[in-house]
Amino acid sequence: MAEQPIKVVVGKPGLDGHDRGAKVVARALVEAGMEVVYLGLQQTPEAIVAAALEEDADVIGLSILSGAHMPHFRRVKELMDQQGLGDRLLTGGGIIPTKDQETLSGMGVGKLFGPGDDPQMIVAYIREWVKEHPRA
Amino acid sequence: MKKSIPEDLWKAFFQGDRLACARLITIAENRKERVPELRDALANRLGRAVRIGITGPPGVGKSTLTSLLALGMADAGHKVGIVAVDPSSPFSGGAFMGDRVRMEGLVGDQRIYMRSLASREGHGGLSPSTPDVADVLEGFGMDRILIETVGVGQAELDVLECTDLVVLVLQPSTGDAIQTMKAGIIEAADLIVVNKADLPGKDVVLNSLRFLFGMGLTKKIRPVPPVMTTSAMQNEGLPELVAELEKLASVLLDSGRHADLRRARMEKEIREAISQCLWTAYDGLTGATKCIQEKARELVEKAESPYPFIRESCSRVRVQALDKEASNGHGA
Repeated sequence: MAEQPIKVVVGKPGLDGHDRGAKVVARALVEAGMEVVYLGLQQTPEAIVAAALEEDADVIGLSILSGAHMPHFRRVKELMDQQGLGDRLLTGGGIIPTKDQETLSGMGVGKLFGPGDDPQMIVAYIREWVKEHPRA
Repeated sequence: MKKSIPEDLWKAFFQGDRLACARLITIAENRKERVPELRDALANRLGRAVRIGITGPPGVGKSTLTSLLALGMADAGHKVGIVAVDPSSPFSGGAFMGDRVRMEGLVGDQRIYMRSLASREGHGGLSPSTPDVADVLEGFGMDRILIETVGVGQAELDVLECTDLVVLVLQPSTGDAIQTMKAGIIEAADLIVVNKADLPGKDVVLNSLRFLFGMGLTKKIRPVPPVMTTSAMQNEGLPELVAELEKLASVLLDSGRHADLRRARMEKEIREAISQCLWTAYDGLTGATKCIQEKARELVEKAESPYPFIRESCSRVRVQALDKEASNGHGA
């Protein structure tokens, strides 16, 4: 049987209106054969997790350029764990200092990406993660 | 190999757990070999929902309209499932699914369940798994299932085969498109919506539709569909549209047509499953796939008709009812 496509929910939490990066990454994932559910701008963590749940997504990708990454990632991860999505990958990108990345990583958030990172790195990371974490 | 769907997943599903529903939809979508198991478990819960296809060209507002319809139907006391299909890339196999961007009003609404599907191998406007996904949603308790196709042109008619009612969505300034569309989906619509009625050019579309249906070419086959105008943006015409659809739904249910459609779909499902099963068994016994490959090469080289080979192959087939156990080895 052919391998099933990886399903990724991509959204931007909060009020930051810069969605170019999220679109570029979403498109790269599509071109890598993934099925991307694009949520768009100004999402609440609740809405993002509710969408990921209904979509049974393997991965949630957040794009945050506003500096509010700490509360947003924390809240999304919290909701994921509460709603039975703790076994899915939470990743993302934006302007996120290394120190914050480390803190988030300690909370169970996956690798985060920044300006200048090749979208192919994200593709490779997601593929690898999904392969290493097969779902029941 | 033959691992069944876990009992606790079914239990959670029947208790109304949305994640369990999500996971069963994934099984319907990705694990074709488990569909019989899904059908067995859901059978006694199916048969009452009305499945409504929402189709039309790209960008006419299908997603926005679908979400507003869902809200209207939920307010009328229904539980609504949405299956929104977006196209898969023929090159990468990936898909960009943007329907949720237009459906923000549904967030957190427990009366509604929305799922995006990539069209995958489907070339008729839907994903091949759409009917199975709709079954899961109906089994979950949804009594109105809205099935939104990819943006279609003229003859993407898959939606006719798995819905009870079809809504065709158009927009102003598609006057010329009307002419080219009239031999396809337009004849099959049970209701036509001219959305974005706030834009100029609405009357041109309405006139073309009047012209088309006034000629009576389609009237002989089916009743002339109601034509409604809406503006999702200005929030106009939506309650009327919901009311009209509900009227069509009750006629469908009361007239027995709903049951007829279900029966016809079941017949088709049985025929297809049997032919698939027979083919798998035949191929397993005779190695037909490989044999056909070789034969085709030979026939093309010699510029010969395939029919002598086809007749010979068919004449050798003898159908015999086998014990289920004995036929399991072929992974049907």
